[in-house]
Amino acid sequence: MAKQAKAAQGGDHFTRWLVIGMVALVVVTGVVFSITSSKTKAEASFIALKDYKLGAQVNGTVDVAQGSGLVLNPGAPIKIDLWEDPQCPICRLFEESNGAYIDDLVRTKKATVVYHVLSFLGDDSVRASNAAMCAADEGHYLDFHKALYIVQPALENSGFFNGPNLIKIGSYLGIKSKSFTDCVSKGSKLAVVQAQTDAMSKYNVTGTPTVFINGKLWQRKSGAFDLNEFRLAVEAG
Amino acid sequence: MRNLHNRYQNIVTFIGRFVLGGVLLVAGGLKAFKPADSANAVAAYKILPTQFAHLVGYALPWLEIAIGLLLLIGVSLRWATIIAGGVMLLFVASIISVWARGLLIDCGCFGGGGAIDPALAATVHRTYFIEIMRDLGLAFIALYLYFFPYGLFSIEKPAVTVKEI
Repeated sequence: MAKQAKAAQGGDHFTRWLVIGMVALVVVTGVVFSITSSKTKAEASFIALKDYKLGAQVNGTVDVAQGSGLVLNPGAPIKIDLWEDPQCPICRLFEESNGAYIDDLVRTKKATVVYHVLSFLGDDSVRASNAAMCAADEGHYLDFHKALYIVQPALENSGFFNGPNLIKIGSYLGIKSKSFTDCVSKGSKLAVVQAQTDAMSKYNVTGTPTVFINGKLWQRKSGAFDLNEFRLAVEAG
Repeated sequence: MRNLHNRYQNIVTFIGRFVLGGVLLVAGGLKAFKPADSANAVAAYKILPTQFAHLVGYALPWLEIAIGLLLLIGVSLRWATIIAGGVMLLFVASIISVWARGLLIDCGCFGGGGAIDPALAATVHRTYFIEIMRDLGLAFIALYLYFFPYGLFSIEKPAVTVKEI
């Protein structure tokens, strides 16, 4: 194959280095811009928790027979099983649409809700799930769970869900006890968190969010999560 | 045949630069201002350690934009084609690796990315195949441009007209 000759300025080292320098400059500027914008966004998300009003205490128990899920309000006629990972973006969409309704079901004792706090998306999920289970001991699982989705960073496993930030989330909500902060920093709930994720295969849960209503798998029919659709499914049982 | 190629080479080269540069510029532009999505998309391949994958996810769109622009305006064409071709082959290797390990992800080539709904598992193999073919095609264009970088609407021009050997 005949090749074309080098460019007229082919031997011009200055031009070549100028171009390489420009490309490098564009890439480096882009990276710096990306890192700073991701960081500021994550930090700014705390502001959304500023006026958070802590709900009444709801005590839950971990039931080994139900995949080590956290059972809130046992014995109600309707039972909802929620399998969620704190870092899962679709779980956040599910919570934005249906979270308040589910909270209400628990607080008015209309339904039993079993939370399976998963952590298969990575270390950030493990730490966040641990902290959520710590909050459960304080009777504030619902609040902490909601807060995790409010601040959920777009970037997964960025290290944003670390001990100090999780304690900070707790303090914004009003969960400040020493038992909570110790539990978060020591990772006291890691065994339960692991057991919950391990239970996925037993219940054929392959992704999140997975929802069972009275033991039956629920799947949305509309493209986005719709509160009315979900409410009708819950009421139908 | 040779004469025919000689006659239309500058047009073929221009079309090749337009396609390859255009695809890179669009792909980069769609991702550059969604850095978190891009970083997640690279991490979802599970090839690099997470933190390093995030850096690659931040850098890649800007590299694509820079190389795309060089190809479109016709500057430093040989370097640009080497990098463009290399990047395409890396993409092909990454998708093959993902496919071989049975991961179900969106390639994130033009934004988006990450794990996909397990319900779509049936179509994903076809998608992987199409993506591999597309990137191989683009790599082939890069190879052609390496040998024939100079054509219409290019800032860089060859020093002399080369005769056929």
